[in-house]
Amino acid sequence: MNKILLTPVILAIATLFGACSTTPTTTSLLEQTRIDYRAAQSNPGVASYAPLEMKQAGEALEQANAAANQHDSTEKVDKLAYLAKQKIAQTQEVAKQKSAEAQVASSAKVRDQMRLDQRTNEADQAKSSAEQSKLAAQAAQVDASAAKRQAQEAQDQAAEAQRRTQEAQAHAAQLETQLADLAAKQTPRGVVITLGDVLFGTDLARLNSQGMRSAQKLANVLQGNPRRTVLVEGFTDSTGSSAHNQELSERRAGAVQTALLELGVSRERIAVHGYGESYPVAANDTAQARQLNRRVEIVLSDEGGRIAPR
Amino acid sequence: MTRNTSRCLAALWGAALVFTLGCSSMKTPATADVAVSKEAVDNAAGAGAVQYAPVEMNSAREKLALANKAMASKDYKLAVDLSGQAQADAKLAQSKANSAKAQAAADALQDDIRVMRQELDRASK
Repeated sequence: MNKILLTPVILAIATLFGACSTTPTTTSLLEQTRIDYRAAQSNPGVASYAPLEMKQAGEALEQANAAANQHDSTEKVDKLAYLAKQKIAQTQEVAKQKSAEAQVASSAKVRDQMRLDQRTNEADQAKSSAEQSKLAAQAAQVDASAAKRQAQEAQDQAAEAQRRTQEAQAHAAQLETQLADLAAKQTPRGVVITLGDVLFGTDLARLNSQGMRSAQKLANVLQGNPRRTVLVEGFTDSTGSSAHNQELSERRAGAVQTALLELGVSRERIAVHGYGESYPVAANDTAQARQLNRRVEIVLSDEGGRIAPR
Repeated sequence: MTRNTSRCLAALWGAALVFTLGCSSMKTPATADVAVSKEAVDNAAGAGAVQYAPVEMNSAREKLALANKAMASKDYKLAVDLSGQAQADAKLAQSKANSAKAQAAADALQDDIRVMRQELDRASK
């Protein structure tokens, strides 16, 4: 009887003890969720960017806590804790997203400012390079006009040279004509004009009128070619003493010189030499041959005034 | 006797009504919950959560499938629980995708700025 009464009492006491000793039901998931929640609370981004989500997560956690306090089954606590945990994670993500979006907005401003700076830079560079190009173009223009002027000068010089060549050719042609008139001969020493004996009186050292005409022609040639000089060489035949012949040859050559001086040719352009009976051009056996040997040869120098020695 | 009979009838009607309401109140929220979860999963997929939050996305889909299965086997309580979890997973997945995209945009902008700063520095040298 006693035993029958005692059993329920002990049971009741045991139950009471059990109820007192059980702290609220808790699970590792709920613990983790609480840790997550505190982390979210200490994240300043969450407070500013995801307050609504945080509130909902808090409510979900409250439900889980309430279930734990009411000693609901671990399944139910876990279920509620899971929902709260996901909501807390979502809150963190939303805070991250909003913070990134805010960053995008501020970065976009920075980027726009930099883009503006870049454009300004580019514009400045373009401007300065345009100025440089302008300067270069101006310099090129100056160069071009200088080149043009030089080309013009070169052209002028070429034209001048051509004109001179033509003049020289004309002059040469004229000289040739004049020399042909004087029966000049081209020899290795230069042009040689021979004034024969007939132009002098016999044994006389004076030019007759025909000789004077030849001298006049020669003077004309010399006036037309001021850089040329002449060497007047006198020769005789072998008749008479060689001393006489030497003197006669010198006198005849001197006569030509005198004539040329009278005709206005300056003295320094006329060299004179007598060779006497040397250098005959024919044998002295006949009168005709001797007449050929009695002569004055006038050697015309080149343009430099040089005459090759005999 | 007639009075008793009519009282009995009224009580029966009431019981029937309560029963019907109970049944309908058990069934309708579960259907709605599953539908809301499905929408949440679809939205998350549309936001690119498959790429950015594959773990949460898989979890949401699995739980949604289980919820549908529970609906089919008329375990409405389990269906409500599962669809609630699926919805929480899907929303987290979507938030992760959104934050990843926003972060990528921010990073890209930062990159742009870095490149431009280098160009400016070089240009001003």
